[in-house]
Amino acid sequence: MAERGRRAGSKAPKEPWPKASVPGSWRRDHVRVAHDSFRHVSRRFGTTLLAWLLVGIALALPAALYLVQSGLAELTGRWDHRPGLSVYFEPGMGPDTLAAELREQFGVERVEVTTQEEALAEFGAQAQLADALGILEVNPLPASLRVVPVAGAGPADLERLAELARRHPGAAEVVVERTWLERVTAASVVARRLGAILGALFALGAVMVTATSVRLAIEGRLEELKVMKLVGASDGQVRRPFLYLGMLYGLGGGVLAAMLLSVGLTVVEAPLAGLLGSFEVEFEPAAFSLRFLAILLGAGTLLGVIGAVLAVRQRRASLDIL
Amino acid sequence: MGQIEFHGVVKRFDNGFEALRNVSLSFEEGSMTFLTGHSGAGKTTFLKLLLCLDRPSRGRITVNGVDLGSLKARGLAFYRRGLGAVFQDHHLLTARSVFENVALPLRVAGMRERDVGRRVRAALTRVGLLERESMLPTQLSTGEQQRVGIARAVVIRPRVLIADEPTGNLDPDLSRDIMALFGQFNQVGATVIVASHDLQLIGGLNQRIVELSHGAVVRDIRPTPGSAHHG
Ligand SMILES: Nc1ncnc2c1ncn2[C@@H]1O[C@H](COP(=O)(O)OP(=O)(O)OP(=O)(O)O)[C@@H](O)[C@H]1O
Ligand SMILES: [Mg+2]
Repeated sequence: MAERGRRAGSKAPKEPWPKASVPGSWRRDHVRVAHDSFRHVSRRFGTTLLAWLLVGIALALPAALYLVQSGLAELTGRWDHRPGLSVYFEPGMGPDTLAAELREQFGVERVEVTTQEEALAEFGAQAQLADALGILEVNPLPASLRVVPVAGAGPADLERLAELARRHPGAAEVVVERTWLERVTAASVVARRLGAILGALFALGAVMVTATSVRLAIEGRLEELKVMKLVGASDGQVRRPFLYLGMLYGLGGGVLAAMLLSVGLTVVEAPLAGLLGSFEVEFEPAAFSLRFLAILLGAGTLLGVIGAVLAVRQRRASLDIL
Repeated sequence: MGQIEFHGVVKRFDNGFEALRNVSLSFEEGSMTFLTGHSGAGKTTFLKLLLCLDRPSRGRITVNGVDLGSLKARGLAFYRRGLGAVFQDHHLLTARSVFENVALPLRVAGMRERDVGRRVRAALTRVGLLERESMLPTQLSTGEQQRVGIARAVVIRPRVLIADEPTGNLDPDLSRDIMALFGQFNQVGATVIVASHDLQLIGGLNQRIVELSHGAVVRDIRPTPGSAHHG
């Protein structure tokens, strides 16, 4: 950095020896150091891979939690936090009378009715079990109805409607979706908090991994660094290789985290889609966007550099030849 | 740069030992000086202070009027880039080739790779080691290692050249060659200070000789004016 500052400055130098570096030396030093760092990383590939793996896992876990949380938030968001009420009927009992009754009630926007036949057709189509179900002589699926209350209906309204439905002789089960929804919302809140705590912890872990790796690298090159300082290397030049190294460890960790996550997502995507599909919720693959990838790699790089800075700070005394 | 002055310099180590006692010396720009004295006299300590590898306990060292004690990290780095130094214990990088070792000061100074190759080979040619450029220092004899150190010191064409026992492991012929090389640098304007206890070698060169004994200057012999220069 010192070299750059000098070129820009026009003040007369305090020291009488020439201070201006060869033109372009700052850029050349960066190119050379980047090249050296790549060589260092590829030569000690075992160590590098271990660092990448540790940093990668440290990044992937909170990132996965984030994806789960944003998925949940998106689900609940899509439902617009509109609580609902479902009533499942005893086999053979029809939903029509109750449906008519409920439609009369205050606070009800509409009532959707699903007959036993419709339920069978839908379930069969979704689970691709039509053939299997065809074997059954009786239809095991109940008829049901779903009450969608008007916007702004409170828990009390919902409870009143549920009470009405429960008293109906044909009703086998009344499900107030609010509880389910609240669970999802609560889960997403927990996931977010857990994600924040885990994120902080694992970020610390990633920093410590790179700091340790970089410290080892410094130790291995202590002699060289001293000689570099003897022939006039600035502090910036001495630090530079290690900052690059930390950056490479962090960036590689970010790439590995992205790989781990995409593998993980592929594994859970199909079952998750099936599960959510059975709740008539259209599943969209978690938000593994370009932006998310950029943030992941950026976070990895940043943590790597922070680790390197810490390592350099710790080892500063042993680099001081005055 | 080149004008070097020691003003009442004392170096007392942590154990209380005084390696330099009140040394005041001045070296004119473009001069050549041999520093001599018994083993333990303080020669290396003296040169280390000049290289800013250690600070004086008392007194001041100025180069071109600048107090070295006032230099911050950045200023120190640039100061060292203008110096060529040959160390008694070589300070070579054992894992790097001879070429890489000699190229180090040029790379630190940010020289273009093209010019680096040219300058390194020129320096290695001067010390007779061009054909060893791709070898590791550990594969060389002590004398050869010393010459790699010399090539590294002169490769930047320093304005101040400092050498600590540069001929310690060399035979008389090679020693004379190396001293002649330093003399050539001196003739193009560099200030040269060489520590050596080879009185036979330096006595015949008609240069200033400063003798240290137990940390104090005991003799300061200037060359006879007008007499022939070596080389
Ligand atoms: N770090 C230190 N702590 C204590 N004493 C030291 C230290 N470094 C050097 N000395 C002492 O200072 C004295 C001068 O040492 P120096 O290396 O300057 O001698 P020298 O003239 O270079 O000797 P030589 O010709 O053997 O290289 C020696 O007696 C040495 O033991
Ligand atoms: Mg010595």
